Amino acid sequence: MIMKDSERTDNYDKIAIDTSQKYKGKIRTLPRVPIHGLDDFSVLYTPGIAAVSKKIASDDDLVYDLTGKWNSVAILTDGTRVLGIGNVGPHAAIPVMEGKALLFNYLGGVNAIPIPLNVKNNDEFITAARAIEPYFGGYNLEDIESPRCFFLLESLQKQMSIPVWHDDQLGTASIILAGAINSLRLVNKKKEDARVVFNGAGAANIAAMYLFESAGFSKKNMIAVDSRGILEPERKDIDSLMLKNPWKYKIALETNGDRVTGDVSNAFKGADIVISASKSEPGTVKSDWIKLMNKEPVVFALANPLPEIWPQDAKNAGAKIVATGRSDFPNQINNSMVFPGVFRGVLDARSKGVNFGIMVAASNGIADYVENPDYDHIVPTMDDLELFPQIASIVARKTVESKLARRTDTQAGFLRTATEIIESNRKIYNKLFDEK
Amino acid sequence: MVNYKIREMEKNDMDEVMDKLLRLKNLNAEFDYALKVSSGNEAEIKGKLDKIIDDKENHIALVIESNNKIAGILISDIIFRIYYDPKYEARIREFYIMPEFRARGAGSALIDEFKKIVNKREIKMITAEFPSMNIIAVNFYKDLGFRELIKIYAKVD
Repeated sequence: MIMKDSERTDNYDKIAIDTSQKYKGKIRTLPRVPIHGLDDFSVLYTPGIAAVSKKIASDDDLVYDLTGKWNSVAILTDGTRVLGIGNVGPHAAIPVMEGKALLFNYLGGVNAIPIPLNVKNNDEFITAARAIEPYFGGYNLEDIESPRCFFLLESLQKQMSIPVWHDDQLGTASIILAGAINSLRLVNKKKEDARVVFNGAGAANIAAMYLFESAGFSKKNMIAVDSRGILEPERKDIDSLMLKNPWKYKIALETNGDRVTGDVSNAFKGADIVISASKSEPGTVKSDWIKLMNKEPVVFALANPLPEIWPQDAKNAGAKIVATGRSDFPNQINNSMVFPGVFRGVLDARSKGVNFGIMVAASNGIADYVENPDYDHIVPTMDDLELFPQIASIVARKTVESKLARRTDTQAGFLRTATEIIESNRKIYNKLFDEK
Repeated sequence: MVNYKIREMEKNDMDEVMDKLLRLKNLNAEFDYALKVSSGNEAEIKGKLDKIIDDKENHIALVIESNNKIAGILISDIIFRIYYDPKYEARIREFYIMPEFRARGAGSALIDEFKKIVNKREIKMITAEFPSMNIIAVNFYKDLGFRELIKIYAKVD
C-alpha cells in the first residue's frame, strides 16, 4: 500500500510541475462587464467612472454595490507552514495559494486573490493585512505556522470588519465536527457524553476543541495529547505553554476533567472518538490504544499524506468508523467541503465577521447534507456540488441571526443567490475551456 | 468561587513546596537566560527552606490550599532598612500560584493574608521581586497598588 501510494504521489508531482511550467500560473483576471471596444472605457474608466467614485466617497457602504469588493477574498500567507513542507517563504507559497484561489472560485464562485506577504513578525503581518482591506470582503489566512496563526486570527478577527478565516484551523475543525456529528448518530451516542481524544495539538485540533465545545461537547470530556504527552493543568511545562502558546495552555487548563496523566494510552481508555492530527506515519496511533476505547469507537486519522494508522488496521483493532484525510479511502475529512460554502455565505450576507456559532451551523449543515449516513459515508464528497450553495445559505442566514450581516435575506433567498452565483460562474469555465 | 485556606508553611509541606518553587524558577528561566535553573541542588534548597520555616523572626512563609492541596506559596524576607524609613520591609522573594488557580482569586487572597500578618507585626512596607520581563507579575502587583522602586541590571560574562 505504501509503495503504490508513493508511486502515485511521484506521478502527481511530475504532472504538477509540467502543468505549472506550461501555464505559468493558475489564475488571471477577467472582466465581469462586457467590453466591445475602447469606447466602453469612457464608462468603465475615465471620465465616467469618477461619478461612481464620488458616490462611494459620499456613502462608504456603496463600495459593496458598485465594486467587486462583495465577492473578493484575499488569501493571506507568510509561507511559514506551507502544506506539510514547512517554512518555504512567500514565493514558494504562491503555487499553493493559486490552487486555493482556484478552488475558491470553482466551488464557491469567489474571486480569491493570493497575497503572500514578505513580513518578519506578527505586527508587520497585521499592519499589511489591515492596509489591504479596502478591496476585500473577506480574508482567508493560509499556511501560517502555529502558534502564530492563533494570534494572527484572533487579532485580525478583533480588528477587522470583514470575516477573517484561517482554513487550517477553522475549515478543518468544521469538517471534523461534521464527521463527528454523523459518527455519533451512527453509533447512537450523545455529544454531551462523548469522550473525545484529540491526538496532536496543532492548529486544526486546537480550533476543533473550541468548536466542539461551541457545538455542545463537554470540555471536561476532552483530552488533548501533544508531542510531550497528555495535556493537563499540572504538566511540568505548563508555564512555558502559558508564555509560548496561550491557546494550548487554555486547553490544558480546561480539558481533561478526570486529570488523566502518564502514557498516551491512558487517554484512549474509554474514549468514544479519537481525532488524530499528528505525525504522518502509520503506527503513530497504535492498534492497542484503539482496543482500550469504549464500544464502537470512532477513529479519525487525519495526517497527510500517510494517516497515523491505516484504516484497515484501525478496523481490525475494533474501530467502527474510520476517517482519514485521503480521497482513496472512505470518509475523507477535507476542508474543501467547508470553505467555499462558508465564504459564499459570509460574502452574500456581506458579513462583518465569522464566529464559532456560524461554524457550528455550517458543520451541522454538512452533516445533515448526508441523507443516509453509513459507516463509510459520514461526510459529503467533492462530487456533492449542491453542498456548497446549501452551506452558503445556512451560513448567510446564521450571519444575519448573529447580527453580523450587512445584507439580509431569507435562507431560501440566500440559497437562490448562492446557487445563481456558483452556477453562472461555472458556466464561465465551460465557455473558457469547452473546445467544441 | 473556590474555597481557599491560607496557613503558615510547615516542614510537612516540603515536597509540594519544592515542586512549586522549582516551577517558579523554571518560569523565571523563561524570561531570561541569566535565570537558568541549575540542577542537583535539591538538598541545599531543602536545607534553606527548613531554616526559613524555622526562622519566623526573619521570614514569613505561607501556603494557600484548595481541597487540602497546595495551590500556591509565598516566601518573604523581613529586611531591616538601616538608611531609610520605614525601618522594616517585608520582601516577597518567592510567589507561585498553580495555573488552574490563577485568575480565580488565589493570588490576591494570599497577598491579602500576607498583608494582615505584616500589619500585625507593624511592618509598613511590602516589596516583591521577580524577573523584569515578567509582565504578568508587573500587572498583578500594579493592580494591587504596587509601583516600581529599584532596578537591578545584570551583565553575565
